[in-house]
Amino acid sequence: MRLDPAHIARLGSLPIKARVIVEGALSGLHRASLHGASIEFAEHKEYSPGDELRHVDWKAYAKQDRYYVKQFEHESQLTIYLVLDASASMAFAGGGLKANDSPVGVSKLEYAGLALAALAYLAIQQQDKVGFIASGTGRDTIVPPRARTTHLHDLLGVIDRVITNGAVGDASPADALARIAEQSRRRKSLVILASDLFDLDDRTLDALAMLRAQRHDISVLHVLDPHERTFPYYGLTQFEALESNHVMLVNPAAVRREYLERMETFLAHVKASLASTGIDYHLTSTDRPLEETLLDLLVARSRLGPARRAV
Amino acid sequence: MGFLAPLMLIGTLALGVPVAIHLIGRRRARIVKFAALDFLMATKRRTARRLVIRERLLLAVRTLACLFVALVLAKPYTSCERKGPEVTRGPQAAVLVIDDSFASGYVVDGKPWLKKAADEARRILQQLGPEAEVAIVKASENAEHPTELTRDHLRLRDQLIALEPSARPADTTRALARASTLLTASSHQRKTVFLISLLANTGFRPDDPPWGKTGPRLVTIELRPHSLPNLAVVELRVDPASSPGGTGSRGIAFDAVIANFSSVAAKTEVSLTVADRVVARGLLELGPNERKTKRFLATLPAGARASDAVVSLTSDRANDGLAVDDRRWVRASLRDEVRVLLVDGDPRTVRHDDELFYLEAALRPGDRDDSGTVVRSITVEELARIEPDPKKAKDGKPATAAIPLDEFDVVVLANVPALPIAQVALLAQWVTAGGGIIVAPGDRLDVAAYDRTMLPLLPQALRDPIDTTWGASPEERDSRALHLVKWEADHPIFTPFSKDAPELADAKFYKIALLGPTTATADRKVLARFTNGAAAIVEASIGAGRTLLFTSTLDRDWTDLPIHPGFLPLVQQTVRHLARKHAVGQEAVHLVGGSVTIAAGDLRKLEVRGPDNIGAVFEGDRLEGRANVRFGKTERPGIYHVIGTDPTGGTRERDELGFVVNLDPRGSDLTAASPALLPPSGTEADAGPTDQARRIELWHALAAAVLLLLLAEGILVQR
Repeated sequence: MRLDPAHIARLGSLPIKARVIVEGALSGLHRASLHGASIEFAEHKEYSPGDELRHVDWKAYAKQDRYYVKQFEHESQLTIYLVLDASASMAFAGGGLKANDSPVGVSKLEYAGLALAALAYLAIQQQDKVGFIASGTGRDTIVPPRARTTHLHDLLGVIDRVITNGAVGDASPADALARIAEQSRRRKSLVILASDLFDLDDRTLDALAMLRAQRHDISVLHVLDPHERTFPYYGLTQFEALESNHVMLVNPAAVRREYLERMETFLAHVKASLASTGIDYHLTSTDRPLEETLLDLLVARSRLGPARRAV
Repeated sequence: MGFLAPLMLIGTLALGVPVAIHLIGRRRARIVKFAALDFLMATKRRTARRLVIRERLLLAVRTLACLFVALVLAKPYTSCERKGPEVTRGPQAAVLVIDDSFASGYVVDGKPWLKKAADEARRILQQLGPEAEVAIVKASENAEHPTELTRDHLRLRDQLIALEPSARPADTTRALARASTLLTASSHQRKTVFLISLLANTGFRPDDPPWGKTGPRLVTIELRPHSLPNLAVVELRVDPASSPGGTGSRGIAFDAVIANFSSVAAKTEVSLTVADRVVARGLLELGPNERKTKRFLATLPAGARASDAVVSLTSDRANDGLAVDDRRWVRASLRDEVRVLLVDGDPRTVRHDDELFYLEAALRPGDRDDSGTVVRSITVEELARIEPDPKKAKDGKPATAAIPLDEFDVVVLANVPALPIAQVALLAQWVTAGGGIIVAPGDRLDVAAYDRTMLPLLPQALRDPIDTTWGASPEERDSRALHLVKWEADHPIFTPFSKDAPELADAKFYKIALLGPTTATADRKVLARFTNGAAAIVEASIGAGRTLLFTSTLDRDWTDLPIHPGFLPLVQQTVRHLARKHAVGQEAVHLVGGSVTIAAGDLRKLEVRGPDNIGAVFEGDRLEGRANVRFGKTERPGIYHVIGTDPTGGTRERDELGFVVNLDPRGSDLTAASPALLPPSGTEADAGPTDQARRIELWHALAAAVLLLLLAEGILVQR
């Protein structure tokens, strides 16, 4: 089943959407690769009724003729920070996937929010501590990391609210990333940033590099609208900036070639900068099915070493 | 500017359409809230200005296109003064009278005026249309005229293309008369004469109008420039009467008359070329409409008895637009040799004692052939054999020893005794016919005998000579000698001398013959007197001839004049003066178009070669038995050489037969003719409208502009 945002939009509340997305994404994965990923053997204890039979150590029974049950110890919990760029540029909705009754496609903010919600769902399921920061609103929305199941509800509620409120302001995710760096100085965390990275002074990239330098694990989900990649406009057009008051009346045909060259230069620059610091980078477009985006992210992370693998 | 359909100008309201489109277009711009505007901002700086320019250009182009469309529909036109003649197309008779005189070569705007005239004529010919019967009549003097009108316009066009300035003056009146004659023979109702002329005054003959009150319609083409300044050599003559001082016996004086046919002063350089060599130059300033004579003194090349000379003007084009009349040729020949018969009345065996010793030396200095004098000396006894006309001898045959008098121009009787009456009569008859005689007394003078026989040859009777030094000692001799004091300085025989003339005044006369009283004053003139008042030289006319009495000797018996420098020029001038009827230094003047009579003599073949390969060959029937031939192809000015073949087969150029041809100076005067000189224009019914305005419709150009604007609009939109 193809899980496009239009389909997801009909699923109701965000927790349901997140679960559907995760299941959809995981349906394409080999489950074995996830079993026991966060569980380590600790000791044996003598079987008592109520213990799970699957944990009975049959080899020990054969040696000593007594039932022993394997005692497992959870790995130390991973702290995951989900950072959502909610600046005004993320509100752009051009050529993204459309719901049947919507004249415009999904915005970059909605797309990124859904992706992060799905990842939060998945992480909570794995009893990891998940925190959330939405930048760009002037006063960042912060949800401290928790691992309780009830935390998921709160987390998704915040994400839902951010999406509903829409993208405003021109603050880059750099401040949010700096806050994470400050709070998690002694504990290695996984930071997942969903943003369009339209931060021409590279503050976000610098903040990511700084986090990475603190040995945090970082994944960047670079969300762009297909119109931003192809610039499919014709006729006299007045472009209005989302994060400023700039207005530009232009004939798109006259500037298309140069715009696309600048965009490609920007993407190459981002990719090179992140690669140079060992940051996991995923460029996606809002017209791409979410489960494919998530799958790419998960597969990429699964290819990383156990130390860096969290989700 | 006007409009044929001014109501269509309402369409200019459509000008608001592109403006509205422009403004609406700006508002209709699609608005897109765009996240990556920063990427566009960098491009904007480069493209925004271009976009603004493009938008404004589009607005301008569209506005102009709308305006022009409205103007095209309104059919605008403008009017200008009609420059061309009124030409009506259709069946008619027309004659194009074109001035092809040499003045038509006048350079206007860098090309001959005739070229412009021919272009105008072609334009008229085209406008007349193929149904018109047309003739082209050239307006130069004696030009060949067509005999009928023709519809062969191709041939007429070829004639116009081949039209070249002739070398003749204009005769516009004759050309118009011919045009009228041609039109009279036509059956067409419409008859028009188109006159394309410089309208020079000299081309019209007011006393001989080409037609009367009723004649064809005359359309005068105004092609004459505002002013036609012109300098010309209008006359060039060789002065035969005066021998220029300091130029020797081969010297010739050339008098060139330069005319300025302009209302402004002009300066020009005048040069004389003799035998293809520039021998003299001079500057000449002429006032408005002034004529000046420039005299050149030149010497003919050694060995040549005759030569061609040309005077040329070099002047600024602004003062002289016509070059063809800036040159004038003349054929100058040394004066004919004076044939002198010297009668020696006192011959001596010692040469320097001879009566003629000094005279012969003065007449033929150095005994050179080019001295200009042929001298034959005889004694008094030999004078008995003179014959006035050897062809009429007494017995019908000329005496072998006869001295034909007509072969001489001057006879000098030097110290001869009184001649027999018969001889005097013969001589008197010869002098009366034009001969010249000099009588100089000497020791053989017998006054009584002279009074008896010699008076017909003398201007005045002689009396006994006086010796002013008689009885004087040798020391006193010179102081008592007489001198020449008064002489007629204006007389030709004294022209070489200055006012004081020491070369004459220093000569001493010891003995002179006195003259008897006379009352005859007519045709008798004392040309010089001695210090005592006695006549020294007396001249008188006898019929067509002249006699000159010198009252002293021609040798040193009575005077030392022969050893003074003045003797030679005095003697030379005297014999030339007496031989004046033979002194021809200038050939006849021939003008372009005239015929020249050439003395064929006994030549077997005669060829004339002129400028521009003009020429003719006379031989066989054209020459045999003819004393003269007439050459009429004098179509170009310049030098015409004559090459003759004599009976022995020898062929050489005959200098004596060559001649020069010049332009008629009348054609150089380009003064505009008065309108009154033009014949009246006929009152043909279809004389045509007098509207001198010409309408020029502009909508074609505007329509083309609309197309170009639309093309530009398309290009701008695509960019």
